[in-house]
Amino acid sequence: MNERELLEAAGRLPKSIEPPRDLWPGIESRLRRRGRRWYWIPLAAAAALAAVLLGTRNGGWVVTPLAGLPSVASAPLHAAGTLRVGQWVETDDSSRALIAVGHIGHVEVRPGTRIQLVVARADDHRLALARGAIEAKVDTVPRIFFVETPVGTAIDLGCAYTLEMDSLGNGLLHVTAGVVEFQGRGHIARVPMGALVQTRSGVGPGIPYVEDAPEALRRALASSDLSGALAAARPDDAISLWHLLHRVDGPPRGVVYDRLAALVPPPPGVTRAAALALDAAALDAYWTHIHRILFRKIMLRGVREIDPRTGTRLR
Amino acid sequence: MTDELVRRAQAGDQTAFRDLYHQLAGRVYALCLRLTGDAGAAEERTQDVFVRAWDKLRSFRGESAFTSWLHRLAVNVVMNERRTTFRREQRVTPMAAPEVLERGRGGGTAGLTIDLERAIATLPEGAREIFVLYDVEGYSHAEIAEMTGIAEGTSKAQLFRARHLLREKLDR
Repeated sequence: MNERELLEAAGRLPKSIEPPRDLWPGIESRLRRRGRRWYWIPLAAAAALAAVLLGTRNGGWVVTPLAGLPSVASAPLHAAGTLRVGQWVETDDSSRALIAVGHIGHVEVRPGTRIQLVVARADDHRLALARGAIEAKVDTVPRIFFVETPVGTAIDLGCAYTLEMDSLGNGLLHVTAGVVEFQGRGHIARVPMGALVQTRSGVGPGIPYVEDAPEALRRALASSDLSGALAAARPDDAISLWHLLHRVDGPPRGVVYDRLAALVPPPPGVTRAAALALDAAALDAYWTHIHRILFRKIMLRGVREIDPRTGTRLR
Repeated sequence: MTDELVRRAQAGDQTAFRDLYHQLAGRVYALCLRLTGDAGAAEERTQDVFVRAWDKLRSFRGESAFTSWLHRLAVNVVMNERRTTFRREQRVTPMAAPEVLERGRGGGTAGLTIDLERAIATLPEGAREIFVLYDVEGYSHAEIAEMTGIAEGTSKAQLFRARHLLREKLDR
């Protein structure tokens, strides 16, 4: 065999040889294990790791088109690219994009949205939503992922959520996992999984309510009808009443507390006086109690019936 | 089709990544099999390549074809594995499972093709790698030097050696 024949034979070798067995199950298993391992890393260590990794990205995040032709810094985005600090991502009526939030999660940018990367640091991942809608999923320690809006800032406490808003600040935050805090115009709303809060231009966040809140309660909250809200509230609506405590002064605060305590009795150590004085420790303890009940109710839905007053199993 | 799958996989869609695997596993496996000369090692490296590809998908910017990117990644994975372990034994015995080379092929040159595959597998490691990368995969000596960390002159010398050994084996 001469060299030409050898090279011709080499050129005829098949480019593809199927493996003797399907290797995908092994690959999938390794990917899953990696996912689990990541999940169980202590959160602080995960944040530190993210910080190290993020430092290598030169201040930019990866942005990928999902549908249509989004733009980054006014240039069409045909394939995965880098979103740098100060640049905007824009989607039209038919385009969507995915922004990797450093190494801690991602944000899907829905149609008709304009959003800017403001800060890309290990301890501060910050976007600014000018208008439109996003779906965020983040897995990290609390308070390092922020989305600024015309009416306030959504602060991640370890969560997944959707946020839609017009350019004036009228919008809706819907939390599907974890907790999001929305701060704006002097108000704070803590929105847990399974709850929503509306925002209004010039007002900030309203009072959060659970997904299945009665229509009468929603209307009362939207119109600042305190007596209507108290009348419509159920034990499941305790998060709304807890927020109302902060929004009213004087005797009405006592009325709100009494209704809340009647619907969901406070945990040991939380007194009426402390709650009316807006004592942070007391209100946090009450919040934790209410949140735990809501969490159990959602997680055990269809499996076990939970008493919305106490969080215990109903007989 | 591949571009769309890549885009979805980059967005975290593991189903799309599985479809990519099914499209491209044969090409990656063929490369790993020829580079390692061992069917079992080729399976391991093929899995390594796809796990690594999942990790690095975001770094793929579409500047080259995805298959080219994946091939280069596969070469890197195999080379790194060789560097970081002490598998220095020369695999001078025929492949453990030569029948894997006989799948998906036909025609009058099949016998010569199988003989060549077997002969490649028996080459010394360095010569085999260079022959596969240069004569089968079409990389240049400069690219091979960059990927394997050897000098271009060494790559040329190994190629000369590999061709000489192969011709000897096939003429027997």
